[in-house]
Amino acid sequence: MDSHDEFSRAEMMIVTMARLLEDAENVFMGVASNLPFFSIWLAKELYNKDLTWLNIPGRVNPKPALPPRSTVDFEVFRNASASITLSQIFDMSARGELDVAFLSGVQVDKYGNFNLSHISDGNRIKVQFTGGAGSALLCANTKRVIFWRTRHDRRSFVEKCSVYTATGNIYSVVSPISEFKKKDGILALESIFPYSSYDEVAKRTGFPVEPAPIALPPTEDELTLLRDFDPEGIREIEF
Amino acid sequence: MTKIKTIEEAVSLISDGERLAMGGLLLQRIPSAFARETARQGKKNLKVMKTAANYDFDLLCLAECVDEVAAGFVSFEAEFGMAPNFRRSVEEGRVRFNENSCYTVISSLRAAAFGVPFMPIAALGESYLVNKFRTVDNPYGDGDVLTVPAVYPDWAVLHVQKSDEEGNAIIYGPVFEDVIMSRAARKIILTTEEIVSKSEIEEEIDLAVIPGFKVEAVAEVSKGAMPGSCYPNYDYSTDHIREYLSIKDWDTLNLYLKEFRP
Repeated sequence: MDSHDEFSRAEMMIVTMARLLEDAENVFMGVASNLPFFSIWLAKELYNKDLTWLNIPGRVNPKPALPPRSTVDFEVFRNASASITLSQIFDMSARGELDVAFLSGVQVDKYGNFNLSHISDGNRIKVQFTGGAGSALLCANTKRVIFWRTRHDRRSFVEKCSVYTATGNIYSVVSPISEFKKKDGILALESIFPYSSYDEVAKRTGFPVEPAPIALPPTEDELTLLRDFDPEGIREIEF
Repeated sequence: MTKIKTIEEAVSLISDGERLAMGGLLLQRIPSAFARETARQGKKNLKVMKTAANYDFDLLCLAECVDEVAAGFVSFEAEFGMAPNFRRSVEEGRVRFNENSCYTVISSLRAAAFGVPFMPIAALGESYLVNKFRTVDNPYGDGDVLTVPAVYPDWAVLHVQKSDEEGNAIIYGPVFEDVIMSRAARKIILTTEEIVSKSEIEEEIDLAVIPGFKVEAVAEVSKGAMPGSCYPNYDYSTDHIREYLSIKDWDTLNLYLKEFRP
């Protein structure tokens, strides 16, 4: 738990992203997507029961009894409404039929482009990251991309990424202390989380930010549902 | 005709420098026993490909069996972190990471499976990955189309739950890219949780997605995906993964490869 005694940073990120799914038609979560899992699950419980949920094992509307510990946990494919394949979900994006995708990266810049590839020194790779998984395709072709990053500092939120793994339809960027939305091609601060401040966000961001309102904290309903579903606190695994 | 071989015999079919498409995805249905035996036999300069990998690719980097990794994502994920030996091998220049988008891995395999030299695909925006591929004029309309080349793996190496002696095999749970890999590759090696009778496969014919005709070897290896999971037989082993991730040198690696047979 955060020093704030009512809710954690993970919980604030989860509910912020869940609320963005209120009018979504379908949503895809990719590899290593712990927080998006909870956001989608919560959105289907509270805000959008008709949301179609797609995941890496190719399941349509998985019905997990417990939160998963990995991308390919049995819980996210044992029970579901239908089954396609990951390649066919990518095809949906390529056809322009995927509404929302969750993506992440090590660096995101003020244009909403991001890097999950590497830091290089001329032709030599200095630091190798994981690789962007499906993001180059998904970011360019999915209607709306929600980018999340569990760290917010000047090394992550940069003026310009050294290399672009993926570019395109970034819609929202959610960090532990704030949310940005892309406006006129540039990330603009949308809200500041209740335990943070404009000064903190501005200090930790490597590009200029304008003041924004304080976000609504998680509701009792949101917190009760999340905590009952996840008594072990798997939602905190990246913090 | 029986294709049954030991895991040692199956791995010995691979020649140094060949290209392997390895089945499963991240921690699910990894051909782990195959990767360990490849390390024991000291294969060299292999080229491996998959959309999203961890244990198998990381171990083959650690054991210096590979010189090229083609993938969209290589990581053990949140609980365990990144793939340390993959990362070090790339940063120290021993392994070339041919980063792809998962979709370009799939599309290259599709081109090979479809018998065409390349596959046109949707745009990848301004991703640096675009520089690895060529665009062509759309012959039926306006504008350019991005393409990826066909990639023909010498082998598809797949871990399945059930196979008969001829290599007709059943996969339970998500198939990931195993089917397209089997169609794209020239030959197939299977490791299987169990070898069952032909009639047992025939009873679940709709799940028998890997036909035996390109299979060169089927090796029965119970728990062959460990430390990864194999639905519904077993889940991944946190202790085993942590033990693996603690390996720092050749002596410890050799002890590990002795302890975890096959």
